[in-house]
Amino acid sequence: MQSNSLTETMHHAEADSNDVFGFWLYILTDCILFATLFATYLVLNYSNPMQSIQLKQYADLHDVLTETFLLLASNFTFCLSILNIYQKKVLKTQFWLILTFILGAGFIFMEVSEFIHFAQEGFRWDVIAHASSFFTLVGTHGLHVSFGLLWILTMIIQLPFIKAQHIAIRRMTYLGLFWNFLDIVWIFVFTIVYLLGAI
Amino acid sequence: MNPHSHSHPDFGTAPKKLSIYLIGFICCILLTLLSFWVVMIGTLSKGLTFTVIYSSACIQFLVQVICFLRLNTQTEQSRTNVMSFIFTIVILIAIIIGSLWIMRNVNANLMI
Repeated sequence: MQSNSLTETMHHAEADSNDVFGFWLYILTDCILFATLFATYLVLNYSNPMQSIQLKQYADLHDVLTETFLLLASNFTFCLSILNIYQKKVLKTQFWLILTFILGAGFIFMEVSEFIHFAQEGFRWDVIAHASSFFTLVGTHGLHVSFGLLWILTMIIQLPFIKAQHIAIRRMTYLGLFWNFLDIVWIFVFTIVYLLGAI
Repeated sequence: MNPHSHSHPDFGTAPKKLSIYLIGFICCILLTLLSFWVVMIGTLSKGLTFTVIYSSACIQFLVQVICFLRLNTQTEQSRTNVMSFIFTIVILIAIIIGSLWIMRNVNANLMI
Protein backbone atom coordinates (compact mmCIF):
# COMPACT_ATOMS: atom_id res chain seq x y z
CA MET A 1 0.00 0.00 0.00
CA GLN A 2 2.73 2.36 1.03
CA SER A 3 4.70 1.96 -2.18
CA ASN A 4 1.50 2.17 -4.21
CA SER A 5 0.58 5.59 -2.81
CA LEU A 6 4.17 6.73 -3.25
CA THR A 7 4.09 5.82 -6.95
CA GLU A 8 0.82 7.70 -7.24
CA THR A 9 2.31 10.80 -5.63
CA MET A 10 5.30 10.61 -7.92
CA HIS A 11 3.02 10.23 -10.91
CA HIS A 12 1.13 13.32 -9.76
CA ALA A 13 4.35 15.25 -9.40
CA GLU A 14 5.40 14.27 -12.92
CA ALA A 15 2.04 15.27 -14.43
CA ASP A 16 2.28 18.58 -12.59
CA SER A 17 5.75 19.37 -13.80
CA ASN A 18 4.63 18.63 -17.37
CA ASP A 19 1.68 20.96 -16.88
CA VAL A 20 3.80 23.77 -15.54
CA PHE A 21 6.32 23.27 -18.32
CA GLY A 22 3.50 23.69 -20.84
CA PHE A 23 2.44 26.93 -19.19
CA TRP A 24 6.06 28.07 -19.14
CA LEU A 25 6.28 27.45 -22.89
CA TYR A 26 3.13 29.54 -23.39
CA ILE A 27 4.82 32.41 -21.53
CA LEU A 28 7.92 32.07 -23.68
CA THR A 29 5.86 32.26 -26.87
CA ASP A 30 4.22 35.36 -25.43
CA CYS A 31 7.76 36.75 -25.07
CA ILE A 32 8.22 36.26 -28.82
CA LEU A 33 4.97 38.15 -29.47
CA PHE A 34 6.29 41.05 -27.42
CA ALA A 35 9.67 40.85 -29.16
CA THR A 36 8.07 41.37 -32.56
CA LEU A 37 6.12 44.35 -31.20
CA PHE A 38 9.29 45.82 -29.68
CA ALA A 39 11.13 45.31 -32.96
CA THR A 40 8.34 47.10 -34.86
CA TYR A 41 8.37 49.95 -32.36
CA LEU A 42 12.15 50.35 -32.50
CA VAL A 43 12.27 50.27 -36.29
CA LEU A 44 9.47 52.80 -36.71
CA ASN A 45 10.81 55.02 -33.98
CA TYR A 46 14.53 55.19 -34.66
CA SER A 47 14.78 54.79 -38.40
CA ASN A 48 13.27 58.25 -38.72
CA PRO A 49 14.31 60.53 -35.85
CA MET A 50 13.11 63.73 -37.51
CA GLN A 51 9.43 63.11 -36.87
CA SER A 52 7.26 66.10 -36.03
CA ILE A 53 5.23 64.18 -33.43
CA GLN A 54 7.28 62.55 -30.70
CA LEU A 55 6.33 60.72 -27.55
CA LYS A 56 8.39 62.96 -25.27
CA GLN A 57 6.20 65.98 -26.02
CA TYR A 58 3.26 64.16 -24.43
CA ALA A 59 4.55 61.61 -21.92
CA ASP A 60 4.92 62.55 -18.26
CA LEU A 61 7.70 60.48 -16.68
CA HIS A 62 6.25 60.95 -13.17
CA ASP A 63 3.10 59.13 -14.23
CA VAL A 64 5.18 56.33 -15.75
CA LEU A 65 7.18 56.04 -12.51
CA THR A 66 3.94 55.74 -10.51
CA GLU A 67 2.67 53.05 -12.91
CA THR A 68 5.94 51.16 -12.57
CA PHE A 69 5.71 51.17 -8.79
CA LEU A 70 2.08 50.10 -8.85
CA LEU A 71 2.97 47.08 -10.97
CA LEU A 72 6.08 46.27 -8.91
CA ALA A 73 4.14 46.51 -5.64
CA SER A 74 1.37 44.29 -7.02
CA ASN A 75 4.05 41.78 -7.97
CA PHE A 76 5.36 41.79 -4.41
CA THR A 77 1.91 41.45 -2.81
CA PHE A 78 1.29 38.50 -5.12
CA CYS A 79 4.48 36.86 -3.82
CA LEU A 80 3.14 37.36 -0.28
CA SER A 81 -0.11 35.63 -1.23
CA ILE A 82 1.89 32.72 -2.68
CA LEU A 83 3.73 32.41 0.63
CA ASN A 84 0.37 32.29 2.43
CA ILE A 85 -1.14 29.63 0.19
CA TYR A 86 1.82 27.38 0.99
CA GLN A 87 0.94 27.83 4.68
CA LYS A 88 -2.72 27.00 3.91
CA LYS A 89 -4.00 30.38 5.06
CA VAL A 90 -6.81 30.97 2.57
CA LEU A 91 -8.12 34.20 4.07
CA LYS A 92 -4.70 35.87 4.14
CA THR A 93 -4.05 34.68 0.59
CA GLN A 94 -7.31 36.28 -0.49
CA PHE A 95 -6.40 39.50 1.30
CA TRP A 96 -3.07 39.82 -0.53
CA LEU A 97 -4.75 38.84 -3.81
CA ILE A 98 -7.30 41.63 -3.34
CA LEU A 99 -4.46 44.08 -2.71
CA THR A 100 -2.73 42.79 -5.86
CA PHE A 101 -5.95 43.31 -7.77
CA ILE A 102 -6.34 46.89 -6.52
CA LEU A 103 -2.73 47.79 -7.41
CA GLY A 104 -3.07 46.19 -10.86
CA ALA A 105 -6.38 47.96 -11.44
CA GLY A 106 -4.68 51.24 -10.49
CA PHE A 107 -2.02 50.54 -13.10
CA ILE A 108 -4.62 49.89 -15.81
CA PHE A 109 -6.62 52.97 -14.78
CA MET A 110 -3.53 55.21 -15.06
CA GLU A 111 -2.55 53.68 -18.39
CA VAL A 112 -6.00 54.12 -19.92
CA SER A 113 -6.30 57.72 -18.74
CA GLU A 114 -2.79 58.34 -20.13
CA PHE A 115 -3.87 56.91 -23.51
CA ILE A 116 -6.98 59.11 -23.55
CA HIS A 117 -4.84 62.13 -22.66
CA PHE A 118 -2.39 61.32 -25.51
CA ALA A 119 -5.23 60.93 -28.00
CA GLN A 120 -6.78 64.25 -26.99
CA GLU A 121 -3.44 66.03 -27.30
CA GLY A 122 -2.94 64.72 -30.83
CA PHE A 123 -0.65 61.71 -30.31
CA ARG A 124 -3.08 59.38 -32.04
CA TRP A 125 -2.70 55.91 -33.52
CA ASP A 126 -4.15 57.00 -36.88
CA VAL A 127 -1.82 59.99 -37.32
CA ILE A 128 1.68 58.53 -37.53
CA ALA A 129 3.19 55.02 -37.70
CA HIS A 130 5.34 55.65 -34.63
CA ALA A 131 2.26 56.38 -32.48
CA SER A 132 0.50 53.37 -33.96
CA SER A 133 3.30 51.03 -32.92
CA PHE A 134 3.41 52.68 -29.48
CA PHE A 135 -0.26 52.00 -28.85
CA THR A 136 0.03 48.44 -30.17
CA LEU A 137 2.98 47.60 -27.91
CA VAL A 138 1.82 49.28 -24.70
CA GLY A 139 -1.81 48.35 -25.40
CA THR A 140 -0.94 44.67 -25.80
CA HIS A 141 0.82 44.76 -22.46
CA GLY A 142 -2.17 46.52 -20.90
CA LEU A 143 -4.51 43.91 -22.36
CA HIS A 144 -2.40 41.15 -20.82
CA VAL A 145 -2.54 42.90 -17.44
CA SER A 146 -6.33 43.24 -17.77
CA PHE A 147 -6.68 39.51 -18.38
CA GLY A 148 -4.36 38.91 -15.44
CA LEU A 149 -6.71 41.00 -13.30
CA LEU A 150 -9.67 38.93 -14.46
CA TRP A 151 -7.72 35.82 -13.53
CA ILE A 152 -6.88 37.20 -10.07
CA LEU A 153 -10.57 37.97 -9.52
CA THR A 154 -11.50 34.41 -10.53
CA MET A 155 -8.82 33.12 -8.15
CA ILE A 156 -10.14 35.16 -5.21
CA ILE A 157 -13.63 33.78 -5.76
CA GLN A 158 -12.68 30.14 -6.31
CA LEU A 159 -10.04 29.81 -3.56
CA PRO A 160 -12.49 28.95 -0.71
CA PHE A 161 -14.15 26.34 -2.93
CA ILE A 162 -10.99 24.47 -3.89
CA LYS A 163 -10.78 21.75 -1.30
CA ALA A 164 -7.58 20.20 -2.61
CA GLN A 165 -4.68 22.27 -1.42
CA HIS A 166 -2.53 20.83 -4.18
CA ILE A 167 -4.67 22.21 -7.01
CA ALA A 168 -4.87 25.62 -5.35
CA ILE A 169 -1.08 25.85 -5.16
CA ARG A 170 -0.75 24.76 -8.78
CA ARG A 171 -3.19 27.37 -10.04
CA MET A 172 -1.52 30.05 -7.95
CA THR A 173 1.84 29.05 -9.43
CA TYR A 174 0.51 29.55 -12.97
CA LEU A 175 -0.96 32.89 -12.07
CA GLY A 176 2.29 33.89 -10.38
CA LEU A 177 4.36 33.04 -13.45
CA PHE A 178 2.00 35.06 -15.63
CA TRP A 179 1.90 38.08 -13.32
CA ASN A 180 5.69 38.20 -12.81
CA PHE A 181 6.18 37.83 -16.56
CA LEU A 182 4.03 40.93 -17.14
CA ASP A 183 6.17 42.92 -14.74
CA ILE A 184 9.31 41.76 -16.56
CA VAL A 185 7.87 42.92 -19.88
CA TRP A 186 7.03 46.26 -18.27
CA ILE A 187 10.73 46.79 -17.34
CA PHE A 188 11.54 46.82 -21.05
CA VAL A 189 8.47 48.89 -21.92
CA PHE A 190 9.42 51.72 -19.61
CA THR A 191 13.12 51.54 -20.49
CA ILE A 192 12.81 51.31 -24.27
CA VAL A 193 9.60 53.25 -24.86
CA TYR A 194 9.43 55.92 -22.20
CA LEU A 195 13.00 56.49 -20.99
CA LEU A 196 14.73 56.22 -24.39
CA GLY A 197 11.95 58.34 -25.85
CA ALA A 198 12.55 61.03 -23.25
CA ILE A 199 16.33 61.36 -23.70
CA MET B 1 12.59 9.93 -0.08
CA ASN B 2 11.87 13.23 1.61
CA PRO B 3 8.14 13.39 2.44
CA HIS B 4 8.38 17.13 2.95
CA SER B 5 8.97 17.76 -0.74
CA HIS B 6 5.67 16.03 -1.58
CA SER B 7 3.53 18.04 0.79
CA HIS B 8 5.02 21.21 -0.70
CA PRO B 9 5.27 20.76 -4.48
CA ASP B 10 7.46 23.41 -6.04
CA PHE B 11 6.54 22.95 -9.74
CA GLY B 12 10.08 23.43 -10.96
CA THR B 13 10.46 26.71 -9.10
CA ALA B 14 12.85 27.19 -6.20
CA PRO B 15 11.55 27.33 -2.59
CA LYS B 16 9.55 30.43 -1.69
CA LYS B 17 11.14 32.58 0.97
CA LEU B 18 10.07 35.98 2.18
CA SER B 19 13.69 37.14 2.47
CA ILE B 20 14.38 36.46 -1.23
CA TYR B 21 11.21 38.28 -2.28
CA LEU B 22 12.15 41.26 -0.11
CA ILE B 23 15.67 41.42 -1.56
CA GLY B 24 14.23 41.26 -5.08
CA PHE B 25 11.65 43.93 -4.33
CA ILE B 26 14.18 46.36 -2.84
CA CYS B 27 16.67 45.78 -5.70
CA CYS B 28 13.93 46.45 -8.27
CA ILE B 29 12.86 49.68 -6.52
CA LEU B 30 16.44 50.95 -6.41
CA LEU B 31 17.16 50.07 -10.05
CA THR B 32 13.89 51.62 -11.25
CA LEU B 33 14.62 54.82 -9.33
CA LEU B 34 18.15 54.89 -10.75
CA SER B 35 16.87 54.63 -14.33
CA PHE B 36 14.25 57.35 -13.92
CA TRP B 37 16.58 59.62 -11.94
CA VAL B 38 19.32 59.45 -14.60
CA VAL B 39 16.85 60.41 -17.35
CA MET B 40 15.02 63.05 -15.33
CA ILE B 41 18.07 65.07 -14.22
CA GLY B 42 19.36 64.90 -17.79
CA THR B 43 22.84 66.21 -16.98
CA LEU B 44 24.74 63.08 -18.01
CA SER B 45 25.93 62.67 -21.58
CA LYS B 46 23.69 60.75 -23.96
CA GLY B 47 25.98 57.73 -24.23
CA LEU B 48 26.36 57.41 -20.48
CA THR B 49 22.59 57.68 -19.95
CA PHE B 50 22.01 54.91 -22.52
CA THR B 51 24.55 52.69 -20.78
CA VAL B 52 23.06 53.28 -17.33
CA ILE B 53 19.42 52.64 -18.24
CA TYR B 54 20.20 49.62 -20.42
CA SER B 55 22.38 47.97 -17.80
CA SER B 56 19.88 48.83 -15.07
CA ALA B 57 17.09 47.19 -17.11
CA CYS B 58 19.20 44.07 -17.71
CA ILE B 59 20.14 43.75 -14.03
CA GLN B 60 16.52 44.26 -12.99
CA PHE B 61 15.49 41.60 -15.51
CA LEU B 62 17.92 39.11 -13.94
CA VAL B 63 16.83 40.06 -10.41
CA GLN B 64 13.17 39.47 -11.28
CA VAL B 65 13.90 36.17 -13.03
CA ILE B 66 15.91 34.87 -10.08
CA CYS B 67 13.97 36.34 -7.15
CA PHE B 68 10.37 36.35 -8.43
CA LEU B 69 10.16 33.70 -11.18
CA ARG B 70 12.57 31.61 -9.06
CA LEU B 71 14.34 30.14 -12.08
CA ASN B 72 17.08 27.77 -10.95
CA THR B 73 19.09 24.73 -11.96
CA GLN B 74 18.51 22.47 -8.97
CA THR B 75 16.19 19.83 -10.48
CA GLU B 76 15.81 18.20 -13.88
CA GLN B 77 12.53 20.07 -14.42
CA SER B 78 13.92 23.49 -13.62
CA ARG B 79 16.95 22.84 -15.85
CA THR B 80 14.55 22.19 -18.74
CA ASN B 81 12.86 25.49 -17.91
CA VAL B 82 16.20 27.31 -18.02
CA MET B 83 17.10 25.67 -21.34
CA SER B 84 13.84 26.76 -22.99
CA PHE B 85 14.27 30.19 -21.45
CA ILE B 86 17.75 30.62 -22.94
CA PHE B 87 16.50 29.38 -26.31
CA THR B 88 13.75 32.00 -26.23
CA ILE B 89 16.26 34.74 -25.45
CA VAL B 90 18.28 33.69 -28.52
CA ILE B 91 15.13 33.97 -30.65
CA LEU B 92 14.31 37.36 -29.14
CA ILE B 93 17.76 38.71 -29.91
CA ALA B 94 17.52 37.37 -33.48
CA ILE B 95 14.15 39.07 -33.99
CA ILE B 96 15.03 42.44 -32.48
CA ILE B 97 18.65 42.88 -33.57
CA GLY B 98 17.87 41.35 -36.97
CA SER B 99 14.97 43.71 -37.63
CA LEU B 100 16.94 46.76 -36.58
CA TRP B 101 19.96 45.75 -38.63
CA ILE B 102 18.02 45.02 -41.82
CA MET B 103 15.80 48.07 -41.57
CA ARG B 104 18.79 50.31 -40.93
CA ASN B 105 20.44 49.03 -44.12
CA VAL B 106 17.23 49.48 -46.08
CA ASN B 107 16.87 52.96 -44.69
CA ALA B 108 20.46 53.90 -45.58
CA ASN B 109 20.12 52.54 -49.11
CA LEU B 110 16.85 54.35 -49.77
CA MET B 111 17.91 57.76 -48.47
CA ILE B 112 19.37 59.47 -51.48
